[in-house]
Order: sequence, then structure tokens, then C-alpha cells
Amino acid sequence: MNFTDTNGRTEQMEIDASAKWPVLFIFTHALAWLIVGGALELAAAIQLHTPDFLADCAWFTHGRLAPAAQNALVYGWGFNAAFAFGLWLMARLSATTLRHGGWLFVAAKFWNIGVFLGVAGILAGYSTSFELLEMPRFVTFLLLAAYAIVGVWSVTTFSIRNTENVFASQWYLFGAAFWFPWLYAVAQVMLFRAPVRGVLQPVVHAWYVNGLYGLWFVPVALAAAYYLLPKILGKPIAHYYLAPLAFWWLAIATAFAGGSRLIGAPVPVWIPTLGTVANFMLVVPVVLIGLNLFGTLAGRYASLSGSMTLRFVFVSMLAFVLASVCNFAFALRGVAETVQFTLLYGLRDWLLFYACFSTAMFGAAYFILPRLTGHEWRSPALVRIHLGATVLGVGLLTGGLAWAGWQQGRLLHDPAVAFTDIARAMTPWLAFRTGGLALLLLGHAAFLINFVLIACPVFSPGTAPAQINPPPALEVLKA
Amino acid sequence: MRNGLALFFGVFAALVLSWAGLLLTAQRQIGRLSQFKDPADEILYPQPMPGLANQGRLVYQDLGCATCHTQQVRREGFGSDVARKWGQRGGYARDYLRDETVFLGSNRLGPDLRNAGNTELHPYADAGYFYQLLYAPASVTPGSLMPAHPFLFDVHPVAGRQPSAHALRLPSRFSPGPGLEVVPTARAQALVAYLQGLKDTYDYPVERSRNAPAAQPKEGGH
Repeated sequence: MNFTDTNGRTEQMEIDASAKWPVLFIFTHALAWLIVGGALELAAAIQLHTPDFLADCAWFTHGRLAPAAQNALVYGWGFNAAFAFGLWLMARLSATTLRHGGWLFVAAKFWNIGVFLGVAGILAGYSTSFELLEMPRFVTFLLLAAYAIVGVWSVTTFSIRNTENVFASQWYLFGAAFWFPWLYAVAQVMLFRAPVRGVLQPVVHAWYVNGLYGLWFVPVALAAAYYLLPKILGKPIAHYYLAPLAFWWLAIATAFAGGSRLIGAPVPVWIPTLGTVANFMLVVPVVLIGLNLFGTLAGRYASLSGSMTLRFVFVSMLAFVLASVCNFAFALRGVAETVQFTLLYGLRDWLLFYACFSTAMFGAAYFILPRLTGHEWRSPALVRIHLGATVLGVGLLTGGLAWAGWQQGRLLHDPAVAFTDIARAMTPWLAFRTGGLALLLLGHAAFLINFVLIACPVFSPGTAPAQINPPPALEVLKA
Repeated sequence: MRNGLALFFGVFAALVLSWAGLLLTAQRQIGRLSQFKDPADEILYPQPMPGLANQGRLVYQDLGCATCHTQQVRREGFGSDVARKWGQRGGYARDYLRDETVFLGSNRLGPDLRNAGNTELHPYADAGYFYQLLYAPASVTPGSLMPAHPFLFDVHPVAGRQPSAHALRLPSRFSPGPGLEVVPTARAQALVAYLQGLKDTYDYPVERSRNAPAAQPKEGGH
């Protein structure tokens, strides 16, 4: 950049001022969905070990409640958080203000109306029964139209950038901004508008689900890690020359990896095999990204104690590696034979969505919100509760469900064990899962309170900008 | 990378490649798969489901049964699906031509339902069994974690009216009370018709050889 340091700061404040209200507005919705979705998820989790819970009402039968919770979390919390974070980061990295932000309010409102109608539609019995595409067909256009505005804003902000170099986070955000609408539109057309026949439906579905996690949530999480690590540590990304290779390799291999979800399914066998090959190829970009991120952190692990954001991002990075290991292992036929259809099988998606993506968004929120509002976090205790609940909850759920899922798989594999005995063996673990989810919800509640205190003008004492320690200046990159 | 246009084309190509390589290729390969006409009885298999069962498919879909139940039988030697009596053979792609919507599923907290209505495997699985299972799962499978679906049934007093022919015969422990009968609603009847229709009993001669694992080459042989 051609600005002196002071000018650079002023510009950042200008960008933050332009992004403030759209980002706060969208993030408020995200948090509301995080709580609502978490509550629904908790209720659905209770039903698994206490089948009588809410069983009398058709709206809350487990088959409707569980997908409703998942959709509320994914499309409500996940997408809103990604919108808020992505728009802000795109503006910051492109060194340009977020223009005509009023349209973003319209887009966010329509998106959230769409998600609300979708979740209510699932509960009312209009589900399509395709995981993550359960929302009834009538909300599709609403969601796509609302997304189009957000996507266009993100891409236009990128295209009017005032910087020479394009940073890694921007590639990931730019890619995700295009991949999601294409994935979603293609899946909608091929499954509902002009449905393909027979087992082609699961193939389209596997392609979509894999793409949603791997080409939308993971890129946004990586954008956060690539941005926040060097920013907070004040040093450039280690081995940055590897980052473009990692990006392209990850994109191409992930796009093909969906077939591995169909191992053993009645589809032409080349489809899962192609997925297995793609998952093997994914080892390279994961290692490269690991070199980038953990290499940047190497020798500076002490900084973790100084920054909440860093700690959340660190959890997210670990989860990314763990989920990649799961993806790789589950693509092996021998492993898939046992873990398919178990709690462990579902854990992989949860790791990608919650442990990797959501914690990255928490970290980003702890970084962004004080800068946007000009206030410090009011209650450090609540921040610590949130971090503690997240770390403990993610750790316990990952360990517990991995063990339980493996046991479940082994019991399922043995035809001598009656099915009800498996259910009985899983009951304590399903109760354990409820406990873990409750712990996470507690953390979310703490986060919500802190958010209301920092973002709501009523609680803000005056409008003087708070003291934010300016991050150390970046060394100049030679890209 | 500095060029936005190159980035765009790269991003576009990454997804289009996988769409063409995976979905389009699969569509070209099995998109035109058709029913098989048995040379002996001249019937087209898989046979379409009867109308009531087709309505039941929509009930299965709206209640989200696929959240906990799969509908796929993995071939013998890969998992214990056949040994668990979830099917007499592994599933073929052709079996699924019958289904307008394919509920393959990814979670087996409940058992696989691909052959739920296959009375060769489950001789006890008549309509009464399914009604009881839906109304009070523990009355037919003690220890089951399946939620009851009481909203699929009407409970009304027997007094002063002719008892319903469809009323459930429940053990007293699960019955709502003396003088009351439990009658399945139209939705329950459709759902049970669908569950009873779930069976892949026909073994396609063309598929059997195609889906069998390749013979192991002899050691040292050519």
C-alpha cells in the first residue's frame, strides 16, 4: 500500500465504519439462529435417549426436529456468520469501503425469512428428506435471490480493490462466494426441478453435501485462519509460496471427493472409487495448509495465552486437520465398512461445520466486533466461559462420539448382536452427547450476552472509541 | 495471484470439472437405466408401488424417517447387512428405479428399511405389526429407542358405535385405557402400505453377474 501507517489506520477505520451496521445486523441474526438451532438440536438429542420426549406432537417428532435443528444451524448460524465475516474481511483486504450497504440489510432480511420459512416448513411436514436440502422447495428462490445480493457485494468489493496483491484469504472467500450458489442451484435443479432418476439422486446429493462443507464452510474458515494468524502474531504466513498450490489443489480435489460418501451404496463403483482417490489427493493440500498455518504459529505458541481469537482459531485449525484425517480414513473401504452409518460417521461433518468453521467464526467475532463497535468486550469472564465451554465441549464430543461410533460400528458388524442391544449400548453415549451439546449451548449463551452488551447502543457508555492495541505492522510480503 | 479473471475461471473450472466428471458422467452411464422384463413371466421389474404406498412415501418423507433409517443393503461380504436380514442380496441401482425419491440415508440409529416389507425375511411383518410399531414401538420390540408416533392414530371410545375393523390389538400395558380403541388415520394407513411395499425380492439375472465381485486370479496364473 502507498499509504503511511497513519493513513492506513484511518482508512481501516473508514472501512470498518462502512461495514459496521450491515455486519452487526447480519451477525445478530447469526447469533439468534445459533441459540435457536442449538436449543432445537439439544431437544433432538434428548429424544435419542428418551424417546418419549416431545413425541406426541407431529411438529416435534425426531425425524422433523433433527433436520430442522441442523438446517437452522447450517443456514441460519453458519451462512449468516460467513456473510458477516466474509463481507468485512473482503472489504478490509481489498482496502475499499463496503458501498451501498443498505442492500445488504435487504438481502439479510430475505435470507433469514427464507431460513425461517424453511425451518418452519420442515417442522410442519414439507421436508424433502435430503439431508441439508430438506427445506421445502418454495424457499429456494428466496434463498438464492438473497444470496445473490450478498455474493455480488462480496465479488464487487473484490473487483474494486485498491491493492496490488490478492491475499490467500481473498482467494478462499472469492471461491466460496461462487461455489455455493452453483452447488445449491445445480442440486436444486437435479433433485427437485428436473429430478434425475434412481440412485443418481444420492450421487447428486453426496456431491452437494461434500461441496457445502468442503467448498463453502472450510474455505471461509481457512480465510479466517489465513487472515487472523499473521494479523495477530505480526508475522507473515510461513511458506506463503505454497499457499496458491494448496488452494487450487484443495479446490479441485474437494470437488471430486463427494463420491466417497457412497462406498458400498448401489451406485456404479467408480463413483466411490473416484471419491477415495480424491480424498487421497487431499492429503497434499492439507499438509501444505498445515505448513502455512502451524508454521506461522511455530515458536509463538505462547501468544495463544494472550489472545482469545488466536485460541479459537487454533481449535479450528486442529479440527480442520482432524476432520481431514476422518475424511481420509472414511474413504478407505475397510474403515468405511465399520464406521458407515454410525455416530462416528456423522462426527466428521460436525467437525467440519462446528469444530472447524464455527470456532473460526467465534475467533473472528472476538477480533472484529470490538473494532466495529469501538468498545471492549464487557465481561472477560463470559469470554472465558465461552472459550472453556467450546474447548471442553468439542474435546469431549469428539473423543466420546469417536469411541462410541467405533463401538457401534463393531456391534453392527456382528450379526449375532441384536439390534436393540446396540441401541441399549448406545444410550449412555447418546446421553453423553446431550451433555456435550448442552455445554456448547451454555458457551453460546455467554457469547450472546457479551454480544448484546457490546453491540447494543443502550448498554454502551458513550461513543468514544475504545483502546484497541494496534496490531503490529506486517512485514512486507514478496508474493 | 493478482488477476481476478484468472481466479474466476479457475474457480469456475474446478466445480464444472467435478460436475461434468461426476454427475454428468454418471447420468450418461445409468441415467437411461430401464425396467427389466422377466423372460418367464413377462413382468417389468422393479414393479411400481401401488397408489396408497406412493402416498405413504410422502408420509415417510415428511416425518423424516430417513434421519435414522437407511434404505440400502450393502452386498454380502461388505458389512453384515445380509446376515442381519436387511435383504437377501446387496442392492442394485436398478432396484431404485421404483422410487420417485430415493431415501438412501446415512444413519443407522434404526435398522435398515430397504426390505422392511419383505415377508420372506420378516414373516411377522404384517400391517398390524407396523401399526403397533408406529403407535407404541416398545410393544413389539422391547428396548427400542424409536419414538412413538401417536399423532398418526385416533383414539376414541368404543361405546355406542361399531368397533373399527382397523383398531389396533394392543397389549393392555400399551393401550390408552378400557373402552378406548386406537384407529390408524389415513396417513398411517398410507405409511404402512409403503413400508409393506419395501422389498427387493426379484433378483435380476442381468445384474447378478455384473455386481458379483471379480474372481480372484490364481496365484501364478495368467
